[in-house]
Amino acid sequence: MSAVLTLDQFSVALKRGRGKNVPILDDINLTVAAGEMTALVGESGSGKTIASLGVIRLLPRGASTSGRVMLGAQDLTTLSDAAMRKVRGRDIGMVFQNPLSALNPSTRVGAQITEVYRLHTGESDRAARARALELFGEVGIPNPADRLDDYPHQFSGGMRQRVMIAMALACSPKLLIADEPTTGLDLLVARQIMALLTRLRRERQMGVLFITHDLSVVEEHADQVHVLYAGRSVEWGSARSFFEQPRHPYSQALLGAVPRLGQARLVSIPGNLPDPETRPPGCRFAPRCAYREDACDEAYPAADSMGGTMFACRRGRTITPEALGVSEQAVAHAHNTGAVVLQADAVGVDYARSATSFVRGLFGGRDRLRALSDISFSLRRGQCLGVVGESGSGKSTLGRAVLQMIPYHGRVILDGHDFSVMRGRERRAARRGVQVVFQDPRESLNPRMRIGEIVAEPLKLAGMVGARARRDAAAALLDRVGLNERMMSQFPIAVSGGQAQRIAIARALATKPAIIVLDEPTSSLDVSTQAMLLNLLKDLAESDGLSYILISHDIAAVSYMADTIAVLRGGQLMEMGDAASVLGAPQSSYTKELVAASPHFRAIHQAGAVSGAVAVADKTGF
Amino acid sequence: MIRMITKRLLTSILTLIILVSVVFAMTHATPGGPAFSILGQKATPAAVKALNARLGLNVPWWDQYFIWWWHLLQGRLGFSYLLNRPVTELIAEYLGNTLLLYIGAIMLSVLLSIGIGLVQGVTWGRWPARLIGAFQLAAYALPTFFVGTMFILYFGVEWQILPTGGITDLRIAHPGALDYARHLILPILTVGLLGVSGLSRYFGASVHEELNKDYVRTALAKGLTFRAVLFGHVLRNALRPLVTILGLSFPGIFVGSVLVESVFNYPGLGYLLWRSALSQDYPVVSGIVLLLGVITVVGNLLADLVNGLLDPREIYD
Repeated sequence: MSAVLTLDQFSVALKRGRGKNVPILDDINLTVAAGEMTALVGESGSGKTIASLGVIRLLPRGASTSGRVMLGAQDLTTLSDAAMRKVRGRDIGMVFQNPLSALNPSTRVGAQITEVYRLHTGESDRAARARALELFGEVGIPNPADRLDDYPHQFSGGMRQRVMIAMALACSPKLLIADEPTTGLDLLVARQIMALLTRLRRERQMGVLFITHDLSVVEEHADQVHVLYAGRSVEWGSARSFFEQPRHPYSQALLGAVPRLGQARLVSIPGNLPDPETRPPGCRFAPRCAYREDACDEAYPAADSMGGTMFACRRGRTITPEALGVSEQAVAHAHNTGAVVLQADAVGVDYARSATSFVRGLFGGRDRLRALSDISFSLRRGQCLGVVGESGSGKSTLGRAVLQMIPYHGRVILDGHDFSVMRGRERRAARRGVQVVFQDPRESLNPRMRIGEIVAEPLKLAGMVGARARRDAAAALLDRVGLNERMMSQFPIAVSGGQAQRIAIARALATKPAIIVLDEPTSSLDVSTQAMLLNLLKDLAESDGLSYILISHDIAAVSYMADTIAVLRGGQLMEMGDAASVLGAPQSSYTKELVAASPHFRAIHQAGAVSGAVAVADKTGF
Repeated sequence: MIRMITKRLLTSILTLIILVSVVFAMTHATPGGPAFSILGQKATPAAVKALNARLGLNVPWWDQYFIWWWHLLQGRLGFSYLLNRPVTELIAEYLGNTLLLYIGAIMLSVLLSIGIGLVQGVTWGRWPARLIGAFQLAAYALPTFFVGTMFILYFGVEWQILPTGGITDLRIAHPGALDYARHLILPILTVGLLGVSGLSRYFGASVHEELNKDYVRTALAKGLTFRAVLFGHVLRNALRPLVTILGLSFPGIFVGSVLVESVFNYPGLGYLLWRSALSQDYPVVSGIVLLLGVITVVGNLLADLVNGLLDPREIYD
């Protein structure tokens, strides 16, 4: 296979402050072959996005690069600005994360596609339109002729990403750079996008540089994997060898951090990513590595190779995932023995849809939209109910009803107290028993309040007297979620995403709730941060008997946490049962699709099918 | 779209009723009365009474209020007490001047603001933008009448290149459109510059914000030049907040024009309103306020419609 893109000792430094150059990316060697996909994997701060912007030379002002970027036989770093513009969009297509903001909101999608085609081919508007139509068909947008004149906001998330891909393909580029193209999409939609990219690159013999933080997305699709950590390559090679036997401790930890059903504990990496200005001189992962030797701190380890991958680790030949504690041993989930803390009886939610006409609105004629129809479940002490579904399935609505944040019908009974008959003070007191942690930790913490105040506020509302006492209680809460009490005087902006989510958990714990509703608590976090957080939540459930309602579209996280899983779609309960049977032997076709969409479940699916069969056998009296 | 306009127009009627009612109550509650303005402070009570009866001011004010609305529904705005001419005729006469001043000033300030704002947004954080920012703040601090007076002193008195007095009497025939235009230059400049400092700063910030959005990176990744991205993608999105602000600033520009009209002795609506308010010429005051209300409401509706054209999402919300 001929190489479409070759990075040769490629390094990028960004300007920070006055005249200070900070190296972000160092000595990257990477190849993308025609018709193949190379996955560039790294967590936030690894430099992966800077790498992609470096290739197309759209780095922030003041950035400097060294090394070579070869597109075929052409070194992009030596091109003039005008020549580089001809390469962008014509030879290299770009697909970005979050197509809603990556597409111009006020321009029809057709015009956004014809723009790039006309720019590089000089064709007429009519020809460009025909081309756009053809591309729409190719990327699988239904009724392409009708959709060409729509605006980006009129498309669903997955369709919008297809538009973005169509635009990137307009001039039949040799290379497609896809920067987190599936992040934020529902599991099934993400899977379709991946399949589309794979089909397109094979048909067109186009190289794909796929940038992602999520190894599980690329497992089925990538030919090559290249793992970055703190701006350096730690391991690279064929995807098959990599997933069979990752050699670098960081790669192993990354894979071990992906949650699986029945796993005792996720691998979490202690410590934090080093800041680009204070990166260690030797191996950058050494301070967090379980296998560190003194020699690791001296110089960056030379590349070694074994079994199909190259790795920058002195001990990569000898360490194995088993040694790291990534064990596949399944633990039995807690038995249904605890007392029932929460019971939901036929909980349903209707939303008033905005009136379809002004006159009807005047006369009160409103459509009712059923967001959730009559869901019943009970939750025992120390257990976790996983609520799975795509966006619009009603899973967050269910959470809000349990939290008493929206009107619903049916009954929610917490510790024997029925919310529907409680009023005033009694109701407010009971509501403290259910707390919530939201998806985006930064958005859900008031940026103008100090962290100590944020955590202490619920205590104040609950009537705890004395600033001193509240302060101590807040410090104790922070300590429980693994944060230092010195953080209390800081503002949310000063902490990382994972820390912010810990603060949100500490705040939720303040009123000693029986239940915490976790609404996509880890979707915006890196895999390793997610692992730490899920581990923390599991520990809290065990030590305090906390119960959770975990709302997520990430079936992997749910499978790790949940004892019971409810699958929702369009406000309807598809199925509900203990986690092993729902995932192992899904009954509804929708659940089957969900499980199949998660590559990690292929093996588990088979193992789980056995236990599912046992569960069925039990019921039938065998 | 049609639904949105209908809704807005219905709300607008309410706005106008509230506006006129408040002004009506305020003007009628003031001591004195138009009779004194017409007959002088030493008028005899009998003469005042006779005049009030003739003007229809002898009935309770709420009767006057409803009579005014009744006449309005018939398309009549009444007669000016002082000038003894129909209010509609007066407004028609002065409105032309005001509209010329208004539209000229708005066009001037929008064009200047877009130009300045583009430079400021593109160079944000570097010295051209900082320099522009310093000038904007300085200009913002200058009172309109002072700027107008300075213009008169320099352009009119010192260099004598432009007329200062304005168009004092429309009934005196003007020697051609060119002369008329020459009279407009200084008032338009003064009113126009008044808006530029605020608008351009706002637009500059808006350009800067748009330039940092993801779609700009996408457009650059297509191979477009920065200029093409700026004018083809960014400008349109950055204009939306400017249009909203502009829609809201119509009354503000009018307030500015009252001062400017008196400085330049310019026969516009602001000038007429000011004089009529002083002499308690109720029908003229109510008529002009109603018109101002209509202009404000229509201005905002127009701004929303233009925004709808600029950003399709607005229509669907």
